[in-house]
Amino acid sequence: MTPTAATPAVRLDHVSKEFNGSHAVRDLELDIAAGEFFSLLGPSGCGKTTTLRMIGGFADPTEGAVLLSGEDVTALPPNKRNVNTVFQSYALFDHLSVADNIGFGLKRKGVPKPEIRERVGAMIDLVQLGGMAERKPRTLSGGQRQRVALARALVNRPAVLLLDEPLAALDLKLRRQMQVELKQIQREVGITFVFVTHDQDEALTMSDRVAVMNGGRVEQCGTPEDVYERPESRFVAAFMGTSNLVGGVYRDGTVQLEGGPALPVGRRPEIGEGSQVDVSIRPEKIWLSDFEPGMPVVNGVIRETVYSGPTTTYLIELAPGVTVAALEQNTARARMEDRWAGGETVELGYDPEHCLVLSH
Amino acid sequence: MNLPASLPPRARRRRGPRRKPVFAIAVTVVFFVLLYLPIAMVVLFSFNAQKSLTIFKGFSLRWYEAFFHDNVLLGSLGMSLEVSLVAMIGSVVLGVALALGLVRHKGRLGGYAGLIMMVPLITPEIVTGVASLLLFKGLGVTLDSGTVMIAEITFSISYVTVILRSRVAALNPEVEEAAMDLGATRWQALRLVTLPALLPAILASAVLIFALVFDDFVLAYFTTGVDPQPLAVRIYSAIRFGVEPTINAVGTLMLAGSITLIGLALAIPRLFGRRGGLDLISGE
Repeated sequence: MTPTAATPAVRLDHVSKEFNGSHAVRDLELDIAAGEFFSLLGPSGCGKTTTLRMIGGFADPTEGAVLLSGEDVTALPPNKRNVNTVFQSYALFDHLSVADNIGFGLKRKGVPKPEIRERVGAMIDLVQLGGMAERKPRTLSGGQRQRVALARALVNRPAVLLLDEPLAALDLKLRRQMQVELKQIQREVGITFVFVTHDQDEALTMSDRVAVMNGGRVEQCGTPEDVYERPESRFVAAFMGTSNLVGGVYRDGTVQLEGGPALPVGRRPEIGEGSQVDVSIRPEKIWLSDFEPGMPVVNGVIRETVYSGPTTTYLIELAPGVTVAALEQNTARARMEDRWAGGETVELGYDPEHCLVLSH
Repeated sequence: MNLPASLPPRARRRRGPRRKPVFAIAVTVVFFVLLYLPIAMVVLFSFNAQKSLTIFKGFSLRWYEAFFHDNVLLGSLGMSLEVSLVAMIGSVVLGVALALGLVRHKGRLGGYAGLIMMVPLITPEIVTGVASLLLFKGLGVTLDSGTVMIAEITFSISYVTVILRSRVAALNPEVEEAAMDLGATRWQALRLVTLPALLPAILASAVLIFALVFDDFVLAYFTTGVDPQPLAVRIYSAIRFGVEPTINAVGTLMLAGSITLIGLALAIPRLFGRRGGLDLISGE
């Protein structure tokens, strides 16, 4: 989904946030469409949480404006904004029951009691907490507490739901399960989700669009496929999963490695002849056998074999000190004895299209 | 592997059979006798049938009866209860507010205020007492139960703040943000979320302050008027004119009351289902 001509659910208009003279967020410009599952992805300290807090009203932008459905809410406190937040710590009210936690927002808005009961009941069903209504949050498991936090926010039917690393505290298996569930719930309720995470898998799995942030700026914003397959910067290439970065000199459609082969990367008119560049290619885009016709092939020496269940990663030396990782699927056809051992010389094939050439 | 047989002698060696630590036991016994014998005597002689303070001559409740017919002592008891109650409420309200302010205020001022707040805890009470007296006299205020309340509140705020401060600091700031996110104003968030979370510590400090103020002599002595006087001051005055066994009865009642209150203060966090209970010093 891409932003349409319709009014975006969230618009950040040249927003900056300074803390004691250093920028947490710099001149951010972002439109998030209604109904979109939008992720802010980046390492800690990249400004993603600060961005979320500015949308929620918990941090005031130093410059710029926050618009919700076209309305400037920059000066409004959190309780006057039609957004709700799922906090990283869940921030449940321990002295209240699950039902009272979920009904808190409706009660504050003066919704009649029978309606509160009905909507809370429906929400408890939606997040699969049947039978837990009268329990206290302390007696629940991490996953259940997470659902309470989600229900407590969703029951208010906000225009935008903000989620601050809501799955970070869960163990891996539960996290995978909740990723799928969250996505299902989002489709069901049709509410815009703004999701903060540092986990690129999570962002790729769940989002309609992802904004990769670094140093308070958005490095790249696009569909999961865009940011993964076509990273526009060194940072995005490195942050979105494992990536090989190999330095060399660009000349006539190839990159010459020092003391090694020249890698055909296709013609790149934007790169100056003879300039120093880095080539980036994902490990799973490197072929070790069954090459396609016309595919560039170079030689390398296996230095390390790392077996990890469904895949095997080979570390292959192309030139002295220049090593790339190549990922092979351990499919039914691949047999143990077919795997290469250390010291063997292999051929690497790749499609120049999958190479990202970054000039210095 | 056969461990016991193959163990080197060094590992098996002990310092002979364990003897009872006679000295340690003796010191402990002496300590508790010195600590509790006088109190035990007071309790015992409050039930004495005779007026003697040295010879126990049979069980009786006559001194308790005498106390409940002594209007001066009853008046003092009433005043002490009143002062304790007002001081408890006043110091808890101010102390909780101070704790919230100290923890949440970002900047140097909070640090200094935190230090200054500790001063009443280490100032000799007699200094506080004399200072309060001089202040009230200088201002031309008539000494009565009101002046005792003010002095006791001033003195007690620090205790409340010390107990509450660490609890406030341990609160998750996101919880109050969540309340505001769900439509609560800042004040509603405090009332509906923060104060309930602090309730066990607030109740515990309230009970503690009540007990401390009720038993307090020094501050009360310097800041009270002539009639009525707080119970502790009244007892002291009474003793100067010869010891009546009634005082033993009063002392026993105060002791029972204090033990109940302190027990309550320690039990409150458990009643709220918090593990480990509450340390009255750290409030944790």
